[in-house]
Amino acid sequence: MEPMTEEERNNILQSSPIGTFALMAAVVGGMVIAWLFLYYGVFLPRG
Amino acid sequence: MNDAAERKLALSHLWVAFAAFIVACFMGEYQVLERSGLIPALESPTVYFASVSTHGVLMAFVLTTFFIMGFGYTIASTSLKQPIWNKPLAWGAFWLALFGVVLAAIPLLTGKASVLYTFYPPIVAHAAFYIGATLLVVGSWIWCTIMLVMFTQWKKANPGQNVPLAMFATAANAMLWLWASAGVALEVLFQLIPFSLGWVDDIDPGLARTLFAWTLHPIVYFWLIPAYTAFYVFVPKQAGGFLFSDEMARMAFIVLAVFALPIGFHHLYMDPEQAKGWKLLHGVGTFVVALPTLVTGFTVIASLEIAGRLRGGKGLFGWIGTLPWTNSMVLSVILSLLMLIFGGFGGIVNASYAMNAMIHNTAWVPGHFHLIFAGTTVIMYFAVAYYLWPILVRKPLFSKSMALLQLWTWFIGMSILTTPWHVLGLLGQPRRISTVVYNNLLTLSWKPYELMMILGGMILLGSACLLIYNLVKTQLSPYSETFTEEIEYAEPIHKVGVLPGYLNNLLFWNKVIAVLMAISFGFPILQFFFMNTFGSSAWGY
Repeated sequence: MEPMTEEERNNILQSSPIGTFALMAAVVGGMVIAWLFLYYGVFLPRG
Repeated sequence: MNDAAERKLALSHLWVAFAAFIVACFMGEYQVLERSGLIPALESPTVYFASVSTHGVLMAFVLTTFFIMGFGYTIASTSLKQPIWNKPLAWGAFWLALFGVVLAAIPLLTGKASVLYTFYPPIVAHAAFYIGATLLVVGSWIWCTIMLVMFTQWKKANPGQNVPLAMFATAANAMLWLWASAGVALEVLFQLIPFSLGWVDDIDPGLARTLFAWTLHPIVYFWLIPAYTAFYVFVPKQAGGFLFSDEMARMAFIVLAVFALPIGFHHLYMDPEQAKGWKLLHGVGTFVVALPTLVTGFTVIASLEIAGRLRGGKGLFGWIGTLPWTNSMVLSVILSLLMLIFGGFGGIVNASYAMNAMIHNTAWVPGHFHLIFAGTTVIMYFAVAYYLWPILVRKPLFSKSMALLQLWTWFIGMSILTTPWHVLGLLGQPRRISTVVYNNLLTLSWKPYELMMILGGMILLGSACLLIYNLVKTQLSPYSETFTEEIEYAEPIHKVGVLPGYLNNLLFWNKVIAVLMAISFGFPILQFFFMNTFGSSAWGY
């Protein structure tokens, strides 16, 4: 692997963490779906 | 670390913590075996509840308190670059807390304190248990005092400068614990000790449960904050990057310390002694305290993303593969966050006012708190131990590959243990039972899950033994003069300017806590002293 230039390094440090946004969105979305499944699929049918 | 005296102080605390941990692990495996009924010779409710009580106390009170104290001393001396204030007092706190543990252990191990780690009245333990627990807490209060004195002294000596993030988090945790432990202290001093000594004939379980709820939720954050501290101040550096935001980290610690306190009634959703309006208020607060965890997740993952990209990672998720997975701190945080996702989901279900009824007092609850505490939190205690031990003993870690194996097996074992535990809760298995003495289709459906839990427990026990073996071998290995490693704190990406007072001081937040506690606990506690009890003793006096 070629060594990183100073410009590339600065670009990384200044860039938005888009991977983190995507991961957090997936986790929060997954939690909402799981909560809705538990509420409508398990809790309410039990009466 | 500054000198040998500081290292000895921290190491002594950490050894007590991990000694308690390994004893408790053996008890945990016995408990899943006993509960499954697989080995009839093991079945004994008396031994089981003595074991569960000791396991809970060792894990929740001894491992945590001693670890947090030892970790705090290390953070204070290395981040502030000054010796521990009043070391004789610090040693006094250590011996007092240790004496308290021994005093409490006697009734626990002889079956005279089988009251579980929540010790809810009217079940009552031998007075030595409560007095021992009190001494442990008093020892921790001295630690809190030392942390806050050092925090204040440093600020006076360095006017206009920002307190290092690690020390800010540690001081916030000390402040949190002083507030949090006041509830259980009132319960123990004014209700349980007099009741256990026979000074009073009656006890009000409603008041006791209310006071315990004061402590029961923030104590979780007292345990968790050192793990989050490691997330913020060690992980980014170990991953080869920078902390995404120092200010967001401080804000997260403040919100944790402030909003962890006035929310304990989500433990009382099913209790009759508090009105539903108070429960709803605390329930809303419970969701507020989820925010700093989301902020922490974001900040730590963003820090890892920067590190992964600096190591050549490309694309939306390509940076994950380039992270140093063979670094025990980095591996731990990844596994910790994975367990936090599933444990956090369980917590949201617990906090949901209506849905709580479905899982209340079922096996789901211990499944949840094992995943959050023994998973998310304790795996970071391991990571900190692997990081600090070589620095404290001035010798390299005995085996890095063994440490990685231990972390993976802890994660796998915890997943195998807690997943069926949650399912058992949904299948209706109550918590706090030792054996099922009847057979029907419902209880038979629990069997496969209980057998899985035995396997999970065995993996965890093996993993715990690996940890202790590695630490002992590190300690006993020959002294290395060439060992020069020091603690390295992560730097933020952007240099932090002069912070506003509310991000660099705790006085304002103390006042906020006082107001919130008065609102959320004032009337709910006072009502016990004024309500008409129709001829029965009001609260024991």
